[in-house]
Amino acid sequence: MEYYAQLLLNGIIAGSIYALFAVGLTMVYGVFRFINFAHGELIAWGAYLALFFTRSPFYLPIYFAALPALLITALIGLAQDRFVFEPLRHGNRITLLIASIGLSYFLRNAIRLIWGSDLQTYGFMPTRGIDLAGLSITSAQITMMAAAILFLGILYIILAHTMLGKSLRAVADNMTLAQIMGITIKKVSLAVWVLASFFSAVGGVLLAVDTNLEPMMGLTNLLKAFAAVLLGGAGNVWGALLGGLIIGVAENLSVAFISPGYKDFISFALIILMLLFRPKGIFGILGGVR
Amino acid sequence: MKKIIVILIVTVLLLCTGWTASAADEIAVGAVTPLTGKLAVYGEGFQKAMLLALDEVNASGGINGKPMKIVFEDNNSTSKGSVSAIQKLITIHRFPVIFGPAASTNFLAVCPIAQQNQTILIGAESAAASISKCGSYVFRVFPSDLLQGIGVAELTEYLNYKEVVLTYINNDWGVGLADVFKEYFLKSGGKLIDEFAYDEGKTDYRSEILRIKKNSPRAVVNLTYIKEGATMLKQAYETKVEVQWLMGSAAKSPKLVELAGVAAEGVIGTYPTFSQDTSQYIAYKNGWEKKYPGQKTPIFGEYNYDMVKLTAEALKQTKSMSSSDIRNALMTASKGYVGATGDKTFDTNGDVGATYGRWTIKEGKITDYK
Repeated sequence: MEYYAQLLLNGIIAGSIYALFAVGLTMVYGVFRFINFAHGELIAWGAYLALFFTRSPFYLPIYFAALPALLITALIGLAQDRFVFEPLRHGNRITLLIASIGLSYFLRNAIRLIWGSDLQTYGFMPTRGIDLAGLSITSAQITMMAAAILFLGILYIILAHTMLGKSLRAVADNMTLAQIMGITIKKVSLAVWVLASFFSAVGGVLLAVDTNLEPMMGLTNLLKAFAAVLLGGAGNVWGALLGGLIIGVAENLSVAFISPGYKDFISFALIILMLLFRPKGIFGILGGVR
Repeated sequence: MKKIIVILIVTVLLLCTGWTASAADEIAVGAVTPLTGKLAVYGEGFQKAMLLALDEVNASGGINGKPMKIVFEDNNSTSKGSVSAIQKLITIHRFPVIFGPAASTNFLAVCPIAQQNQTILIGAESAAASISKCGSYVFRVFPSDLLQGIGVAELTEYLNYKEVVLTYINNDWGVGLADVFKEYFLKSGGKLIDEFAYDEGKTDYRSEILRIKKNSPRAVVNLTYIKEGATMLKQAYETKVEVQWLMGSAAKSPKLVELAGVAAEGVIGTYPTFSQDTSQYIAYKNGWEKKYPGQKTPIFGEYNYDMVKLTAEALKQTKSMSSSDIRNALMTASKGYVGATGDKTFDTNGDVGATYGRWTIKEGKITDYK
């Protein structure tokens, strides 16, 4: 029993990180109607920039180093929009998709160029886990969960209780109508990119604290985020959050039944099943829950 | 019209160089070597070791009186560079024998080309097990990773672990190694408590660790790379899994210690090695010091040295310069051939055998396990 409980706990921790990635991806989709393949690179850039500030000449402790890293990642997110996606916005959606794939190569290889392809860490030494009712959890994992809950809580307040959140949801619903009602798209797009980059960077830093950094870390996690987005219904923020959790838990629980070598199979099988039977996501029936 | 004439002239010139290379009174072979790019630091050492062997061959009469020559082609340390380099050596120079590039990925990129063109390709530092399947024209004097499966099984037996959990990376390399390990381990009376593969390149192996923990084994055989190995060690330490970890040589790196820290303490593994006390190795070492005084012998230099000397032996014995004759000569010449790196007898896959040393991590340093 303890074994399954521990697997569940591991799944929730992994899932909360997937949720952080998926929320940004689905927000961009909700407003601009395209899947940003360069989203994964924001994850990696967030983590690497934090690494940059922990080293000479800054030597900041990691949680302080994360602050400038988050800011710069948000700037990269904005630059993505300003220099690539905005000029292409009135073209075909496929154009945006292809452009984002190109951009992801560019950003990933820029990481290789600057920091190299080798594995890196923030230099934490492994610590023994803490025992909680027979379950083992490390302090890094507790931080991860706390941070995920904190940031997703902030997101909830922004989306549900501020003018910005309302206009964001309005634009996602119908961009033309929102413009007619006097909502400035510029402001909304700014908010979307800042939030999306911010959340990816937070997830990236947390992931790197727990494990390590490598240039491919964005791409691997983008696939999980993508599955979460589809599961929750593209464009649906809370769906993406739940989707992330479901994928994390499903993946980790699967280890008890199938060989872990096929763990990734779970998320892809979910993508295929969803596309076949519920292309609008599990919450599709509820209609425009945004 | 002008263009066509230029192309014609260039073609004729190229044909001439190819023709002179093969027609001159010397026996020439090609080599794809990383002389620029990220492997250049090693490539220079490989080249020097090959040139040392070449000097010795030519000093003792060359190939039946004709001098031997190696034409080096740089590959910029990339697969792409390796492919263009080997194409040049095959189509323009038409060399029957080519020494392949370092790094298994680069070697694997060129081996289908060599096989297709029936050109003999010999490697001196590529370990990937899949190279065995490259084809009948591909050889290597470096032991295949596959042999490590046996090495690790022997280590497990030596340490008296009768029941272990076996886990490995889910790719050609890992599965191949695990199969060999299983065969030998089960034959010698060992028992597997659990066996599973895991994905390469992940950051979260906690559920895999839990599966190990569930069976509470005394020892775990983990056929892994540096990154995956380090992550697993770290997460096992965090979840308080106390087992003896047994690994192969792919994880033997200071980077493992850097990434896993204290969690890497006490890991035991195997790695291919050879005796440095044989007369052949001492001859290599003395030769090196004479030709390159004051320079340290490079990594894998002795394998490159053996490769050239063994090839020269085969070229002496071959009936003609056709690649199939040279291939047969290589097989006979290698039989019982003992070089600086030990016995180089090729099996039917063009692979050699190996002996294994044992490593462990003690106080953050990789040392020999005794």
